[in-house]
Amino acid sequence: MFALTTLIAVSFSIGSFRIGETEKPFLYAVLLWIILVFSALSGLSRSFVKEREAGTIDVLRLSARPQAVFLGKLFFNLTLLLALESIIVPLFILLMEYKIESFGFFAAMIISGGFGLAAGTTVVAAMIAQASARGALFSALSFPLLLPLMITGIKGCERAAIGVGVTGWPEVKISLAYVIIMITMSLLLFPLVWEE
Amino acid sequence: MSRVFVFDFATPKFRLTSRTQGIWLNLTWLYGINIHVMYSLRVTNVSKHYSATPLLQNISFQLQTGEALAVAGWNGSGKSTLLRIIAGLVKPSAGKVQIFFDNEPISKERKRKLIGMVAPSLAIYEELTALENLEFFCRVRGIPHNREKCLDLMERVGLCEQANKMCRNYSSGMIQRLKLAQALLHNPPLLLLDEPGCNLDSKGMKVVERIILDQRSFGMTVIASNEEREVEYADRVINLSK
Repeated sequence: MFALTTLIAVSFSIGSFRIGETEKPFLYAVLLWIILVFSALSGLSRSFVKEREAGTIDVLRLSARPQAVFLGKLFFNLTLLLALESIIVPLFILLMEYKIESFGFFAAMIISGGFGLAAGTTVVAAMIAQASARGALFSALSFPLLLPLMITGIKGCERAAIGVGVTGWPEVKISLAYVIIMITMSLLLFPLVWEE
Repeated sequence: MSRVFVFDFATPKFRLTSRTQGIWLNLTWLYGINIHVMYSLRVTNVSKHYSATPLLQNISFQLQTGEALAVAGWNGSGKSTLLRIIAGLVKPSAGKVQIFFDNEPISKERKRKLIGMVAPSLAIYEELTALENLEFFCRVRGIPHNREKCLDLMERVGLCEQANKMCRNYSSGMIQRLKLAQALLHNPPLLLLDEPGCNLDSKGMKVVERIILDQRSFGMTVIASNEEREVEYADRVINLSK
């Protein structure tokens, strides 16, 4: 809902006519990633908080291996994020008349970015589930973690829109490397967060 | 108790208990052979402090397979905290809790598979049916998905007819019975029962009594309660109020 509201607000207030043709690829990439990142920040923090509020977190701690819980939550967040992207990205392209030269690169950037967002936010969601000021803490802790991914995503989407320098999909590779590092580090650190 | 086989010959006695987590082989008076392979729980000088306030101080006890221990005490004396420390949900400020299998300490990872716990603070998924809850925990624990086994357990706790009812529509007594079934899914050698009779009627109390009696044949039980009836199920009592 947050993503949809932001998208409509952006398309009405900025539209496709107020921005010059040369700035469009960069500014549209920035707007798209702002919508995606803040939607992820508003929704994905709930994955562990819900378990704590329902009182099921201790049953999970007694029953399952920490890594299994982390991977389960990661796949849940990933599914949620890919579903969100499948609605928001086509709507953004349609409403903003976003012209993309290299569509394959753009799709790969969005999908790998989704993986990165899910990987980056899942472990932070587990950390903030123990705290009281969860919302503010989640954004404050996630933002520095997600910043490199966001910058890469913006650059990648800009390149895809212009269609220049897309050979080898460099930003997709950086994004995938980010995903691998995040998941590996999370699998190592998550047991420390999970077990008091 | 389909997993337990007891063979009694006139003399000598031969007793074999087969378990999924290990084998407890107890040969007594069999041509002079006396083999004991069993689980034991050792709690050594466990203390817990919240800020400067001490809650538990130097609690020590040992429990063997076949025994039941009751932890009694006033409200706030630390009964539930002690059970949570044994389960590994809370870290003690000092001391240690170890489970041994045939005198070999068990790793933290394996410890999880040996413990079943029922406590007011442990909830079940209200958006699932009772059967779905048990099947979910079967999958989480890596127990081969077995609907028959889940239904057997539901029958054991007297919930068979409500197996497909959403848990949000359950009464508090029915939820307590489901928690008992969830704790018994993997036949845990160590069963931790925090206020097991909470919200249960007389039939439910009989179920608890049966579970504790069955547990004696292959495992250990720690009961935290102030109810006289529940404390009577145990061989020994630790009073935390003293």
